[in-house]
Amino acid sequence: MSSPVLQPRTRVTRLAQEAVDKARLTVVPRVRTRAPRVPFVTLVSLVLVGGIVGLLLFNTSMQQASFAASSLQSEADTLAAREQTLRMELDELRNPQRVAQEAQQMGMVIPTAPVFLDLRTGKTSGVRTPSTPEQAIQLLPPVPPKPAILAPPPTVVEVPADTTTDPTTDTTTEPPADAQAKQKNKNRQDRKNRNR
Amino acid sequence: MLRLRIGFVLIAIVLSFFGARLVQLQGMDPRSYAAMAAAEGAARLPLEAERGDILDRNGAPLADSIRGKMVIADPVLTAGTAPDLARLLSDRLSIDYFKTLTALRGRNTGSRYEYVARRVPSTLAGDTLEALEEAGFEGISLEEDPIRDYPAGDVAANLIGYMGTDEPLGGFERTFDKQLAGTDGLATWQSTSGKGVRIPLRESTLKEPRDGAPLRTTIDRDLQWFTQKVLAQAVQQYRAESASAVVLDSRTGETLALADVPTFDANEPTAPGVEKEDRGSRAMSDTYEPGSVQKVLTVASLIDAGEAFPRQKFKVPPNLARQDRVIGDWFDHGMIRLTLAGIIAKSSNIGTVLAADAFSPPQLVAYLQRFGLGQKTNVGVSGETPGILTPGDVMTSQTKDRVAFGQSLSVNVLQMAAAVNTIANKGVRVSPSLISGTAVTDDGVTVGTDTTTRTRVVSKEAARGTAKMMEKVVDPEDGVAPRAAVPGYLVAGKTGTAQRVDPACGCYRGTTVSFGGFAPADDARFTVYVVVHAPKVDGGGGSIAGPVFSRIMGYVLGRYGVEPTNGKPSRLPVEW
Repeated sequence: MSSPVLQPRTRVTRLAQEAVDKARLTVVPRVRTRAPRVPFVTLVSLVLVGGIVGLLLFNTSMQQASFAASSLQSEADTLAAREQTLRMELDELRNPQRVAQEAQQMGMVIPTAPVFLDLRTGKTSGVRTPSTPEQAIQLLPPVPPKPAILAPPPTVVEVPADTTTDPTTDTTTEPPADAQAKQKNKNRQDRKNRNR
Repeated sequence: MLRLRIGFVLIAIVLSFFGARLVQLQGMDPRSYAAMAAAEGAARLPLEAERGDILDRNGAPLADSIRGKMVIADPVLTAGTAPDLARLLSDRLSIDYFKTLTALRGRNTGSRYEYVARRVPSTLAGDTLEALEEAGFEGISLEEDPIRDYPAGDVAANLIGYMGTDEPLGGFERTFDKQLAGTDGLATWQSTSGKGVRIPLRESTLKEPRDGAPLRTTIDRDLQWFTQKVLAQAVQQYRAESASAVVLDSRTGETLALADVPTFDANEPTAPGVEKEDRGSRAMSDTYEPGSVQKVLTVASLIDAGEAFPRQKFKVPPNLARQDRVIGDWFDHGMIRLTLAGIIAKSSNIGTVLAADAFSPPQLVAYLQRFGLGQKTNVGVSGETPGILTPGDVMTSQTKDRVAFGQSLSVNVLQMAAAVNTIANKGVRVSPSLISGTAVTDDGVTVGTDTTTRTRVVSKEAARGTAKMMEKVVDPEDGVAPRAAVPGYLVAGKTGTAQRVDPACGCYRGTTVSFGGFAPADDARFTVYVVVHAPKVDGGGGSIAGPVFSRIMGYVLGRYGVEPTNGKPSRLPVEW
């Protein structure tokens, strides 16, 4: 009984010994897995520095934008004021009084009654009344009379008529007629140029 | 060792100062320090609402607002350089040198805020400030101060009114101030320096200003200008005290022009020579007796009531004795035989009284009330007079006789124009208006073209008959006012010459001459009414107001392109 038992036992022992030999646990030497610190620190530093710099830049740019905004605003204000001033000037140019003065200077007169020309038939309706310079309306208020002290009565000196002068020698200072006409023409030309 | 101790002691002393300051700041009164810190960088900008424009019917501005600045001096900083600074400022801004000098030196001792100039156009003020900074001056600053500009000067100034230093002082500016003024806004923020640059992400508030709404009138700027000029010329020519004229669109009742002379430049309401009365609208606030223009209302009412007709024959005696006094005519005549048309054409008082005998006082007054007499027109002009019309039940027959030809009652100009316009508009009275659309006055009354009412006063036939009789007034042979005619057009009108009540003595002195009419007579488009008060040159409605009427009517017909109707002129007989 012992041998059959023993035999396998010795086999088992041997096997076990082998297994035990094989599976002997030994203390693994502690491996210090040193994760490299440098990347992490770099990353964190970068994030921090980036954040701070970003914030700084952002703030600066906002500040910059604020400066830009306020300078643009003041520019806009200036331009708006300029536009308004120009509009005011335009309105003053459109003042009927001014327009009428210009027109009247050119010799235009507001007619007393209108006449219509029908472009389809070429016929006129209404009564044609001549417009004369007398019909021009008075555009400016009359000049107030000067106080007496500023407008003394004219001093009249009676000079005895000089009978020796020959009445045929004309002493008038007026330029000859065609020179006058030329002058007039020139004036008209000037005005035309001015109003262009 | 000793050195170390001395060092510690020194550090401790310094730190104890810091500590004391900390206790002072935080312990004693932290709030006021916090408030001071906040105030240090706080910028506060009142945002001025822009005042609404007043426009004419075509949108041309009669009054507009532009940005302006007030120039402020801090005498503490400017007193030293006052003469140089004053020279520069007075040159640039065209202001008085000596006043500027006074302001720069401070009107009161210790003052730190003095007005140098007000209502300076923004661009000019900005340029001037830049120039000052370049020249190294300091102590001058700018603040918002909007400018009210009246580009057409005196055109419609009596209606528009004008602005004082800070508030409206008359006319539409005052009547519609709520609408025009708008609401000011306010912006606050934290700023870096004195330059007012905003610190981002800091507390800021903004209340947007609400600009005033524009007020559009029915006035036609050019026509109004023309009317004023023609009227002013007449006033000067006839040495009259004052004059008014109205142009109405006959169909809509829109007032195209309402002129008063003397007038004023709204940009300079306090210029020398401008009387207080000149700044309001005499046409609306003064009453006067309308005189013979009133006869057309009487006659139209008689025809409407079936009590008269245009060809009705009257024997007109040289004078008519009534209970309290004798009624006469303006021209001497014996017993003449006039038709009703002749009575109008010749403007016979006696004839009108005879015709009006068919009416009892209440009947006549009822008609006149429907013509709008005795009631305000409510067009939005404050200080309007309702005129005086004695109620029918207390009116004596003598008063009625005089009312029939335009005495013993008084009207304002627009009221009378609207009454004459009733005849023009085929018997329907259109209430006149001065505001396009609607506007609410500061008293809460809604006015404007949208509130126009139409009431039939007399029948179409009565109006037509009256118009035909009025055509005779400008007839060169039969009428009294041939100079009121407009060449090419059928014109219907009526002269008026009334005695004028002089408020100084409470008696009759001088006359009020007038002419009211419309054209084209057979299809009226415009009604023009001209009143000239107290002319010093002898003349009546036909010779003084008639030519003014003709000029204005001729202009407005041409301006609005109304062609002659080529209708047949009235052939009513004036005598029989």
